[in-house]
This record gives sequence, structure tokens and C-alpha cells, in this order.
Amino acid sequence: MNYHSDIKAKLKGSLTGLLALASLAVSTVQAEETVKVGVLHSLSGTMAISETSLRDVLLFTFDEINAAGGVMGKMIEPVVVDGASDWPLFAEKAEQLVAQDKTVVTFGCWTSVSRKSVLPVYEKYKNLLFYPVQYEGEEMSPNIFYTAEAVNQQAIPAVDYLLEEGYKKFYLIGTDYVYPQTTNLVLFEYLQSKGIPVESIGGGLRKDDDGNVISAGNYTPFGHSDFQQIVAEIKTFAASGDACVINTINGDANVPFFKEFAASGMTSDDCPVVSFSISEDEFRSLPAEDLIGHLGCWTYFMSIDSPENKKFIADFQAWLAATDVTGVVKEDRVTCSPMVLSYNGVYLWKAAVEKAGTFDPEAVMAALKEGVSFDGPAGTVTSQENHHLTKNVYIGETLETGQFSILESFENVEGEPFLKGTFK
Amino acid sequence: MNRLLPVDNKAEGAVFIGLLILIAALPILNAFVPEGNALHVSSFQLSVWGKYLCYAVLAMSLNVLWGYTGLLCLGQCLFFALGGYAFGMYLMLMIGELGAYKSTLPDFMVFLGYTELPAHWKPFYNPFFAVAAALLVPGLVAFIFGVLAFRSRIKGVYFSILTQALTYAAALLFFRNDFTFGGNNGFTDFKFIFGADIRSDGTARGLFIASGALLIGVYWLVAWLLQTKFGKIQKAIRDSENRVRFSGYSTTHFKVFIFVLSAMIAGMAGALFVPQAGIINPGEMWPTKGLDIVVWVAVGGRGTKIGPIIGAVLVNMLKSWSTKAYPDTWLIILGFLFVFVVLFMPNGIVGLWAQGKAFLARRKSKTSPADTGSTDDTEAPGEIEKATS
Amino acid sequence: MNLSAVRQLFTLALLFAIGASISETAHADEAGTRALLVEIVHADGDDARQQLAMEGLAEEGDPIIGTFYEAYRSGNIFIKKVASSDSPLVLMKDNKDYTNLLTGESVTPSDELKPSRAGRGLRKDLKRLVDLLDLSSPDLEKRIAAADLLGKSQNPEYLPELKARLDKQTDEKVARAFREAIYICELKSGSDTEKLAAVKALGEMKSLPAKGFLETVAKEYETSTEPGARALRESTRKAIREIDDYQKIVGHIGTLFRGLSLGSVLLLVAYGLAITFGQMGVINMAHGEFIAIGGYTVYLIQNYFVNTFGVGSSAYEWYFVLSLPCAFLAAALAGALLEKGMIRFLYSRPLESLLATWGVSMILQQLFRLQFGAANVSVSAPQWLSGSYSFGGVSMSYSRIFLVAFAFLVIIVTWLLMNRTSWGLHVRATMQNRQMASSLGVPSGRVNMLTFAYGSGLAGLAGAFISQIGNVGPSMGQTYIVDSFMVVVVGGVGNLFGAALSSLGIGMVDQWLQPILGPVMGKISVLITIILFLQFKPGGLFPSRSRSLDD
Repeated sequence: MNYHSDIKAKLKGSLTGLLALASLAVSTVQAEETVKVGVLHSLSGTMAISETSLRDVLLFTFDEINAAGGVMGKMIEPVVVDGASDWPLFAEKAEQLVAQDKTVVTFGCWTSVSRKSVLPVYEKYKNLLFYPVQYEGEEMSPNIFYTAEAVNQQAIPAVDYLLEEGYKKFYLIGTDYVYPQTTNLVLFEYLQSKGIPVESIGGGLRKDDDGNVISAGNYTPFGHSDFQQIVAEIKTFAASGDACVINTINGDANVPFFKEFAASGMTSDDCPVVSFSISEDEFRSLPAEDLIGHLGCWTYFMSIDSPENKKFIADFQAWLAATDVTGVVKEDRVTCSPMVLSYNGVYLWKAAVEKAGTFDPEAVMAALKEGVSFDGPAGTVTSQENHHLTKNVYIGETLETGQFSILESFENVEGEPFLKGTFK
Repeated sequence: MNRLLPVDNKAEGAVFIGLLILIAALPILNAFVPEGNALHVSSFQLSVWGKYLCYAVLAMSLNVLWGYTGLLCLGQCLFFALGGYAFGMYLMLMIGELGAYKSTLPDFMVFLGYTELPAHWKPFYNPFFAVAAALLVPGLVAFIFGVLAFRSRIKGVYFSILTQALTYAAALLFFRNDFTFGGNNGFTDFKFIFGADIRSDGTARGLFIASGALLIGVYWLVAWLLQTKFGKIQKAIRDSENRVRFSGYSTTHFKVFIFVLSAMIAGMAGALFVPQAGIINPGEMWPTKGLDIVVWVAVGGRGTKIGPIIGAVLVNMLKSWSTKAYPDTWLIILGFLFVFVVLFMPNGIVGLWAQGKAFLARRKSKTSPADTGSTDDTEAPGEIEKATS
Repeated sequence: MNLSAVRQLFTLALLFAIGASISETAHADEAGTRALLVEIVHADGDDARQQLAMEGLAEEGDPIIGTFYEAYRSGNIFIKKVASSDSPLVLMKDNKDYTNLLTGESVTPSDELKPSRAGRGLRKDLKRLVDLLDLSSPDLEKRIAAADLLGKSQNPEYLPELKARLDKQTDEKVARAFREAIYICELKSGSDTEKLAAVKALGEMKSLPAKGFLETVAKEYETSTEPGARALRESTRKAIREIDDYQKIVGHIGTLFRGLSLGSVLLLVAYGLAITFGQMGVINMAHGEFIAIGGYTVYLIQNYFVNTFGVGSSAYEWYFVLSLPCAFLAAALAGALLEKGMIRFLYSRPLESLLATWGVSMILQQLFRLQFGAANVSVSAPQWLSGSYSFGGVSMSYSRIFLVAFAFLVIIVTWLLMNRTSWGLHVRATMQNRQMASSLGVPSGRVNMLTFAYGSGLAGLAGAFISQIGNVGPSMGQTYIVDSFMVVVVGGVGNLFGAALSSLGIGMVDQWLQPILGPVMGKISVLITIILFLQFKPGGLFPSRSRSLDD
């Protein structure tokens, strides 16, 4: 990818001035015909598990666009940097991309804290970031476009589905950080607006100074490994039937949770668990037989039966087989929602650039706000005025194969980042 | 010892002067050399170096404790983060009504349903209070923990393990949303510092110069302390605490003092780090961060004045480079470097010179292998420990 | 939604059919049942057709329905197109073998298989059918579970079924489950006198599942001024109180067991450290990675068994038994290598052993990532370790019971090794004074290596057990490293009995605090308690006695 160091090496190696001149000429031509695009994900450290897949899908998308003629006649030249799961380093690398490499757009970040840490950089340089992973909302930076699922594109449809299925008791459990707390806060208000009494919301209540209940949920530390107590509580909670669990546990800790859950004798038919952080990619490391029949909710599933999706999966697999980028795992790869949202993001950016007729980040953002559409693997997505996406939401049930069987879909759900206090 | 320059030998002097030049030159190159010139230093590079300087101060704070007093603290990151949080509180309040909710309260508080600022946040509108807190809060935590630990004569490995547990417990606490410090997201998106726009080039220069000044200041302080009687007792405690105690000194008081001092230095480094990094979150006090600092000091050379600075800057540069060049294997590189340093370079990079000399001397006179050449100017704590145990 | 309305109607119809027929389901006609099941699969998407088939199914009573339900639920029903016929074959997969659902004959599938899935609603109805069948299942556990579920549905249609069978139950536990189900049903549909009797009975039975239903009754009669309402209200409250009291006791017993089981996990992860750190003075920060070696060994052996014998085969059931010694040996070997290659140069510098092993830990973690991928790998439990044992409302999973037992075994074996063998004598001698021991002829080099290997091997064993209850991944050891050091320090360095006691103590305190303070504050409180505890007993529970000042 790094044409310039190539050229530099050539320069050093070449003895004749002629050759040097020739390669200089090549480099100027290339500089005119490419546009630099940043990729900012953790390729090492704890978040590498999830984020490396996004790097892969982005490189694939760039190659696909370049093969089709690029963006406004220019080839995309990706600049890949590693945030190393270190939040101050994320800010540093973002600034490196924007200030040093002069990228016109960045696709990146997974955790909310990494997004929060790079946000000032994009606002300072008035650049543009596309953020692809489900998050808690409550943010709308003028320089970030959120292709991610907002809470109302995941948690709310999932609860609607469960209510429709006749579940009456909801146990909320999550890891102790912002996303679960925020989701549960919104869900708490939402459930009450749907007539679910406070006694039927499990996991412990949080009260403000005056004793009013303001939120609910049971929260565990990161990487928690002992869920005996919590599962015992859920079992008591679910003893009278019609109960379900809303799970916002993050990453690793899902394994001991589901193992404990299964060992306690509960199945998805007694008390289903709906999870918002487990996609096909995370599923690969979970004990499949303990998860059968539990639910997931995303705006994309690999099992979507559409020609666009089949083509996307096939092309991506073909790219994986052919690529020589270091560190790309080629076996047993799946596609999942954050990957497709990254993919959609690149195409939306392309559409917005073409609409604006310039690569200037602010003009591109203005074009996005006016609304551009793309027919992606999960159906049509349209950008909104509020920097979020209108897209389809799917509820799926996990199978032994690690795939989801789609139970229900909600068409064209608009993303809304500010939800707190809207369900009174 | 040289009175003007606080250095013990020529090599140390050269590095120190180089450092002074660097600290002086970078802001000048940033301000006066136009962009596009090969010598221009961008604000981005300046802030990266500013962060390295803060790390260097942090490494020095650990060195005071570990290198000179023999107390290996695995929770130094806690004091760094506490300083950062204290100053970060001021920065959060300075955002004012520019946040997502257009409220005077920080965004995360609005979201959690706070209607007014908690009492312990109020004084942080005053920047000087915040700076004082960045010094005093880590100092106080260190004081309480130090008194408890040293009074009951917890030392050596036990001290290390307990400091690790302390920072682990603190990190879990700060991860909680209810703890009024922003949970996992911590503090970000600062706007103003001392009335100036935090994103402007001038602020970047100011912060860099402040970090450089702190580094030089701490260096002088450490150098001065070492040549006092206090510094001698400090080293004596490291080498044999019991003998010091039997000589009539209360080692507990000395250790508490040095622990508090070290925590305060770390806190200052944290306070200067946060506006330059633009973020502070509980990840900064995770136990692995504490071990990272130990790595810097060990690689640079513990028990030397210049070693921690070299170690902090070099390891961070190596990390910055290798995460880009070898994202898959950089942990292995770092790990091997570390094992190598412990096994073969007990005095780090700074000790290499002396090690080389000693090696040559041994080759020359094979008849006297016992003389390992510890007569040179750098300290050799590893050797001493070996001799006493 | 339209679909759910259809489903409700259909369920109602089905229930009448069952009510009429189930008592004489003796004429189990397997072929007919199979035909109906095939029809259900074929009718996928056509609610009316499926309803018809289900109605028919309700009149059959063959146990094949249960097998079919399980297969349908877990995605093991497939459709195979047949060129010669319009209706494709329906295949049921069991482990690796396929059978033709219609005939029960085994078939070799070609590649043209399309999986068929049951909708949630259909599955619910099927499950209810299975439960009704299970009411007369020879398996008592199944009978209890079926009664429990039918009771919770509070559907009056089941009452006659349950009542008719109650007298035939000779087993006390089963009879209790039937009675409980009957009373819960009556809470909703019975007359006021029946309700009163049911409330009283449930209170006396201390029925945990009934609590939610009783609360509904209490709410219902809260403001009612009808004649019997007051008595009913009061006895409901009394019953809820009784159940609450009982629940508290159950909770305490449960906490006790959970504390014991968490303590055993801590003991397993920390016991190896108690040996390497406590007995040898080496701070092994790579201890967590030895745990991971154990976990990965189990993973590799599991994969080997899956590939050779297949999941669910009887040989597969033994994979975990075989992986225990392998995990021990693999980690012990790694430990021995580390000792020979690095640790032995650092005996006189304990703090530096901490640093060097931290480097080793980084290297090993990254090697795991490169070898097995950054994501966790999935290890599943053999059949005999899954499920749980229920005792008066406290459920204990088999894997945890096994773990507790094994932890005690480790304590005993280690004690025997240390106190009844010459190697143990050598270890203790070397620990007390390395130079003196070696000058008296103790081969201290070898003793060191073996001791370190044994400690590391125990870490490997811990990893093997953790694979059954938690994660296997590159950083799985990091989760436990701070905890293990705490255990050793609290127990008293060098005292194995102390380590055992402290791990149980920490486990108990943790589980006891968790329900009160929540998991996060519970964990923080435990850490703070430990730090404060060490102020008063700096040497831990059992400080090692020594004349040396610098120990």
C-alpha cells in the first residue's frame, strides 16, 4: 500500500539520474490520481479480536471500488494505523492520519471510549469519521457520521418482539460501562411506557437521591468470570415463567455467563436471552450448544437471503483468498453487522463525494445530511439529517452452526441517538 | 558531582544537554519555521513529544521509589491517573455549555440524571485548586496506603502485589458510572485550558514547555535529594533496611515520605498528560499500565538519573513504531526485550557502557574475575542485592 | 400481529383436542405419528395445514414426538429433494447419522440438504405436547419437569389430566410436583374456596415457582370488598412471607455452595502459585499463561476426539478425563523449561523474576494469539458434566461439584507429596535454606525444577477446569492473576494450608457480598478488605516462622 516508501527505496537504489527522474514522475502522477483514506482500528491488544475484521472488510471494499474505477476517477489509497486498544494512542493516531497523512475521511473505532478520544481531533481539523459499531447514542458530533445501530435500532425492536411473544418479566444484565447502562436506562423507561411494572424488571434498581427509581440492571466488572450468583438470581426471577433476559454483557464474559446459564438447567424455551453484543464474529468463540435458541438483534445477519448479500459474502471470501495483506486470517471467516456497516459506510461516503463533487470533508458531510442511499447487503440504507442511518432491523435466533435464523424484520427504522426521556 | 549540571559523568551530561536542547528547540521549530520546511515540527509531533516527556516524568517518579529506595510499586499508574483525573475535572467544567446537552454540567452527569454539580466537583472551577488537587490527591492516597503498609512492615514483593491490587480496585471503582467520574468513557472533548483554546498551536507549545519544565524540575529535585543525607539513607534502605533501622533511623517515615513524593510527581505528570492526550479513562490505571512503567525504568536503567527518561522515550517510540510495522509480533518483541534486559542488562541501557567496560577489563585480566568493575559511576543495585542475600 | 392471533386460536383448539384424547393415548401408533411429523415439516409456512397436523398429533402419543421436538429445536431436521417425487424426504440427524423421519430407516444423505426450522410459536406448542406426554414418562425427572411447566401455564385444561394422574404417583417428589402444579393452576381458575386452599397449601409447601402467581393473586384481591376476599388476602400474604423466609434460607445455602465452588476455583488457580511463590520465592507473572496452556490442551484434545470419534459418541465423553493429566503435563513441561532457561538465574533476585516472567507472559499471550487466533476458543462440556443437581431449591451444576471434589483431591495429594515423600522433604529443605540444603547433598537444582514444574502443572489443571466453566483464550490467565496473588499473600506465603483456607474464605466473602453490594462493589470491597487485613496480619493467616530478619 505504501507507494511512497517504495519510491524512496527505488530512489536510493537507482544510480542513474534518469531512473530517478522517471520514478519521480510516476510518483507525481500517482499522487494526483489517488485519494488518501484512513483506517483506524485496533490490530493488537484486547480489542483486536473484533476490530481486525473491520480492517479486512474495509480493505476489501476499497479494492472493490478501485476495481470499478475509484471515486470520481481517483483511486482510494488506504492508510492503515493501529490504535492498539490504547485510548490515548487512538487520539494520537487519528491526528497522525488527519494532520500528517492528510486523509480526507477515516473509517474506524469500535469502542465508545475510542470514539470519544478521537472526536476532538476530527472537530479540530474539521475532518470526517465513519463509526460502524452499535453504541449508546447521546452524541452527535458535526464531524462524525454514525453508520452504527442506535439503541432504537437494536434494543427497542428486540423488546417489542419479546413483548409480542408474550414475555412479561425482563431481567437486565450487563457489563459495568456506558453502553449497557445507557441501553438499560432507555429500556427501563421504554418498558414502563409499555405497562411493565417495576417489580417485573429484574437485576436491581437504581434510585436517585429522592428515592425515585431511575434505572435498573445488574452490572459486572469487565472480564467477570463468576456468574453463579447472578444466574441463581435469574433462576428465581424466572421461576414463575414468562421471563426473559436482556443481555448487554461485553465480550469475553459472555462465555462463563452462558455456560453457567446452561448448567443451571434453563433453556432458551424457559427463559430466552437476547444479546446485543454477540454477532456472528463473536459467536465463533462461544459454546454453540449453550446458545441455541437464544436471540440476537442487529441490522444485518449473514443468513439474510438476498442476492446482494450472497454476492457480498462471495466477493469478500474471494478477496480473502486472494489477498496478500499481512495478518489477514483466511479460514473460517464470517460476516457480521459491524462489518457490513463499515462496508455501507464506504459506499455512502463515495455516493456523498460524488453528490458533492468534491472530497472536502465538510461538503461531503453536508451531502450526507441531505440524504444519500445505498443498496447494501442488508437492504437499502439512507443517511439522515442527524448523522445516523435509516436501515432494516432483524431479530434472529441462534443456531448450532453459529448463524442466526431470522425471525422477524422491521423495515426502514430511523436511527435516533437521543432517546432518554422520550418514553414517558 | 558537577554543581551546575546535575550529572555524574560525561555521558549523562551529554544526554541531559541533548534533552535541554530538544525541549527548547521543538517549540521554536514549531512556532517559527514555516510549514512545508523540512525542519518544521507540526503541532501533532509536538504533542506526541509532550506526552513522551510526561511518561518520562512518570518513569522518574517510579525510579525514585524503586531505583533508589527499593520499593517496587506496581500501582504507579494509579497516581498518574489520579493526577490526570483531578486536572481533567477542571477541563471538563471548562467545556461549559458547549457539550452535547448545552448544559453547564458535564454531559455524562446530565445523562445520569444529575440536576446539579456534586459538591466535590465544585472547587474544580478554579484551575489552581485543580493543580493542587493533582498534587495532593495522589499524595494523600499514597500517604494513607504508605502509612498502613510500611507501619506493618510490608515490603518487597508483598508491597508490589498490594500496590497492584490497589490500582486494580481503583480501576474497577472508576469504571462505575455511579462514581461521578464518567465511567469507562472517562473525560474527553476538552475545549479550554486557562482560558485558551486547547486545540490551538499556542496551547500545544505551552503544554510542551510546561512538560519540559516539569521534567527538568523533577530531575533537579531528584539530583539534589540524592546528594543530601536523605538520599544516602534512601539508598541505604534499598540495600539493607534492617541495618538502617538498627542504626536508629525510622525507616517507616523515610519510606512514607518518598512514597508520597513519588506519587505527587506522578500526579503532576498525569495532570500535564491529560490535556495533551485529550482523554483520561480508568484504562490508565489498569494493572498492566503499572507494569509498563516498570518496563520503561528497567530498560532505561533503574537507579540512574537519566535511565528512566531514556527508557520511557525509547520504549514508547519503539511501541509507536512497531504497532504500525509489526502489529502481530510487537508484543513478542517487547517481551523478549524485557527478558533480555532483566537477564543480561540488569542496569539497563545506561548501564551498558559500564558493563562493556567491565567485560573488557575481565577479558584483559582473566586472573581476577571477582572484580566486576563496580567502581564506575553508575549504580548497580542488582549486584548489591545479590551480595547481601 | 396476525400470525400470533392465528396461533392463539390454534392452541386453544389443540388444547380441547388434547383434553379429550390424552387419557387414552395408549394406542401409540408410531407410523401415524411419523407421518404427521413429516406433514408438519412440509407445511412450514402454512399455519392452517400445520394446525391440522398438530391436532392429529395430539391424538397420538408416541415418544418419537419428544425426539423430533429436540431435533427440530436444535436445527437437526433437513429436507432432501427427491427427483422422482413431489414431496421431498424429511431427514432427522442424530449425531452424524441421518434417519428418514417417515420410515425411521437410516439414510446416507447426499449433498442436497436444506435445513428446516420450527418457528418459536410452533415450538412452544410442540413443547406443550411433549410435556403432556412426559406426564406419564417412565423418567421421573421428566415427569416432574412436565408437571412444573404445565402448572406454570395456569391453564385449566390441564387440571383434570394432572388430578387424574396424581393418585398414581408413588414417588413423593413427583407427587409433590403434581400437587404444586394443580394448586398453581387453581390460583387462577378455581373458586374462592379452592383458591384459599391452594394458597395455604402452596405456603406450606414453600413453593418457589408459586411466589409470582401468589403476588398476582394478592394484587387482584387488594382492593376487593367481596366476602371471602379478606381471608384470601391475608392468607396469600402469609404464604408469600413463608415462601420468602424459605427463599432466604435457600439463598444462604446456595451462597454457601457458590462460595465453596468459587473458593475451589481460586484454590486451583492459586495453589500452583502458592508452591512456586510460597515455597520457592519466585514471582511468576506468567502463572496465568500456564493456566491458559492447560485450557488450550483441553481444547486440542477435544478437537482430536471430535475429529476421531465424533461429538456425542461414547468415546467423546471421556475426552475431559484424558485431558486432565495432559493439561498437567503440558503446563509442567513448560514450567520446567522456563525454570531451566530463565528462573534459575534469578533465585537471588525475586523482584527481577517478577519482571522477567512478565516479559514471558507477554510473549506467551501473543504466541497463543498467533497460534489459536485472538478470539477465545470454544470448549464444550461432556454430557456427564453438564446439567445440575437440585436439592431443595439449591441447584449445583455437576461441573462445579466435580471441581470442588477435585480441589480437595489436589490439597490431599500435595500434602502427601510434601510430607510423605523424600522429594517433599527435599523441597522443604531447599525452601528453608537453599545453600545449606545443597551442601548437605540435596540436589537443589533438580528439586527446584521439579517443584516449579509441579506448581506450573497445577496451574495447567486449573486451566482445564476453567475450560468447563469459563473462557479459553489468550488472556484467560490475566483474569485470575491478581486474585491468585491475593490468595497466597492472605494465606501466608509458604503455607499451603493457609492458601487453601484463604481461597475458601475469599470465595465465601465474595459470594456473600455480591448479592448485597452487587458484583463490582463486592469485588472492590473484597480487595480493600484484603489490603486492610494485611495491615493487621502482614504475614497472612499463617505467617512462616523464621529467624532470618530479611524474610
